[in-house]
Amino acid sequence: MLVLYKKELRYYLNNPIGYIVVALFAVFANFLYVKDIFVVGSASLRSFFSLLPWIFLIFIPALTMRIISEERRTNTIETLLTLPVSESHIVFSKFLALCTLTGIGLILTLGLPVSLFFLSKLYVLEIIAGYFGSLLLGATFIGVTMFFSSQTKNQVVAFLASIITLFILLVLGTDFMATVFPKALLDFLNYFTPQYHLANFVKGVIDIRSVFYFLTLLTISLFLTIISLERRD
Amino acid sequence: MISLSSVTKKFNKKIAVDAVSFKAREGEIIGFLGPNGAGKTTTMRLILGYLLPTEGNISVNNLDPFENRIEVLKHIGYLPENNPLYQEMKVEEYLEFIAKIKNANDHEGIISQVGLEEALSKKIEELSRGFKQRVGLAASLIGDPDILVLDEPTSGLDPLEQDKIKHLIKSLARKKTVIFSTHILSEVEDVATKLIIINMGKIVYDDVNPKGKGTVEKLFRKLIKE
Repeated sequence: MLVLYKKELRYYLNNPIGYIVVALFAVFANFLYVKDIFVVGSASLRSFFSLLPWIFLIFIPALTMRIISEERRTNTIETLLTLPVSESHIVFSKFLALCTLTGIGLILTLGLPVSLFFLSKLYVLEIIAGYFGSLLLGATFIGVTMFFSSQTKNQVVAFLASIITLFILLVLGTDFMATVFPKALLDFLNYFTPQYHLANFVKGVIDIRSVFYFLTLLTISLFLTIISLERRD
Repeated sequence: MISLSSVTKKFNKKIAVDAVSFKAREGEIIGFLGPNGAGKTTTMRLILGYLLPTEGNISVNNLDPFENRIEVLKHIGYLPENNPLYQEMKVEEYLEFIAKIKNANDHEGIISQVGLEEALSKKIEELSRGFKQRVGLAASLIGDPDILVLDEPTSGLDPLEQDKIKHLIKSLARKKTVIFSTHILSEVEDVATKLIIINMGKIVYDDVNPKGKGTVEKLFRKLIKE
């Protein structure tokens, strides 16, 4: 599995796409935080974490869309699946490589809490929990995009299908929905939105229900991706 | 040893392979012939456990290749049709990658066997078709598999390259079972010990190679017309 993980990671590290996506993510995330300091006059990571799902909505599908669809397009999937390696190892290796890149992207935003230390009071545990939640959110988005990438030979189709699915999940947790759905239904739907669960982490609370939410979505996505690789007709 | 017994493969309602049965024993070089769309690639994919048969039984070294895919693939070297490779990788890097997956360390010997020394530091995308084919062949040989399944190993190569690959197949076959498909009938004449001809998913010939210049072509034309 380590061999496959290294191969995937090396692809992104030897290719401009990996650097471009991760660097753009870091620039964009840092810009939103700095903008808040000057425009809103607030030096808090809460706005950064609350915008993170929307940033991930673009950047994670952009990074992940090729992961299996490109193997299908070039038929290297046949090369891979006729080597003595299981479908689950292939999926987990690819998943871990993408998590590593997402982790690198998040590490590049660590300047934010460092600057916060100089500007106001820093709650270290709150920040650790926030980053942990962000990594879970990123992993879940990777899982969902991997599933769509396994369904098609076309990267753009995988990208769009992932964005639409993740957007629907995210939009359920927006204020706009309060004008559309009755409150009881909204409270119910809200439970299925990533923002609702990420909010717990941002408050510094590692809520088992939220961990369970992300892990459930992730497990289902990865399981379906493995099934998709196993079905080769 | 490979054994197929009444194997049928359907894609939706289309029958790609129809009640195919044959055996391949150690030391045999089987020339697998047939027109385009006859079912050669599907049969090879079934042997590898890449596809699940709709009906029938397949055994590779007494194991079902679909149920025991990983174990069976440890004993098979496969060169897929059109030789899909990771174009962005360097030759050396690619062969090391395959060797690590196969848990083997014999790739350095294979590099000289297939004549890839001068291309090692090049990216696969920069190689000529002939060299790419050698990379695919080298990858299939890594781990010293008992069985070699080569789908169109000489496709798109010039006559000199074709000769090299033919000689390589011959030299490898002493202790292995080799199944190779090809469109070039003359190629089979002096390499294969046995011929299997498939047409519209059905085996129409499964016997020794009738040696002699032009005999395979005559036989092929006769059987395919029928």
